[in-house]
Amino acid sequence: MSLEDFAFRLSETSLSIALTDSEWAFPAIESAHVIALTLVVGSIAVVDLRLLGLAARDRDASQLIASILPVTWVAFGFALVTGSLLFVANPISYSANSFFLVKLGLLGLAGLNMALFHVFGSKQLKREGALAPRISGAASLSLWIAIVAAGRWIGFTL
Amino acid sequence: MIMHILAGFAAWLGGTPLTALVAGHFWIVPALQTIHILAVAGVLVSVLLINLRVLGVIGGTEPVAGVLDRYLRPTGVGVLVLAVTGFLLIAGEPTRAIFRTLFWAKMLLIVIAFTLTWSHRPAFAVVGAGGSATAARKAIAVAALLAWVAVIVAGRWIAYVEAWPGAPE
Repeated sequence: MSLEDFAFRLSETSLSIALTDSEWAFPAIESAHVIALTLVVGSIAVVDLRLLGLAARDRDASQLIASILPVTWVAFGFALVTGSLLFVANPISYSANSFFLVKLGLLGLAGLNMALFHVFGSKQLKREGALAPRISGAASLSLWIAIVAAGRWIGFTL
Repeated sequence: MIMHILAGFAAWLGGTPLTALVAGHFWIVPALQTIHILAVAGVLVSVLLINLRVLGVIGGTEPVAGVLDRYLRPTGVGVLVLAVTGFLLIAGEPTRAIFRTLFWAKMLLIVIAFTLTWSHRPAFAVVGAGGSATAARKAIAVAALLAWVAVIVAGRWIAYVEAWPGAPE
């Protein structure tokens, strides 16, 4: 099944029709999505700035990550659910939008970067001036800024 | 009366080079919105970490004053960036936001949310480093978080509500 077929079938589901028919559902879900995604990006940025050595240098990086990561995951869960609902409300337009596809690709890269950090970079957090955590932080910050930008561009190109 | 003044302001702003610049290029508005959202991210996570610490939900070992030292400044800088990008977005389309009640409700909510969050500063300077929050302080922390969430929700809905009758288009 191609992406077009999938989007078309999704658009005929009762959930999709209900979301499209409702006057308040779309802006309400959008509001929740904004709150969730800003918490994801903000909490990740706090960690990235610490990894880059630009903020909170007096705080232990592992402790900082451990205290903030729960916020990131809970917020990401909400962003994923609300984002999926926005997609279900308009699957044909979103799946044909190149910025939407770019955003999904960037999200995948951000996830990959995070996984690589936990495997390689996090072991070097104790070492002064280690390069791997800095690279992870810079990549993460750049990717999330690009994800927000791609998300904003979707709204202007649908 | 108020609408008359605002209509005059919108007409003046719309005639400035700022409107010509922002409205003149396709990419400027989404770029400003991207910066606006990134600043919202900075502010929201800062006030979340501040107020969750005041509530005692997170970081129990660190004094509240230390958390305030770290996150109040980014909150202030973030609000400043929001004001600048918000103003530029209004300049890009002067008749859009300012003729809607919800926009002014959002501005009022920002003042309330900002004041409530900043009120932790003197409160914890007096109590001292080890002091835990009183019930009233915790209530203020909850109110501050709700006010910030309301600011974001109001911001999103401005795009969907009707302008005042007779507002310029």
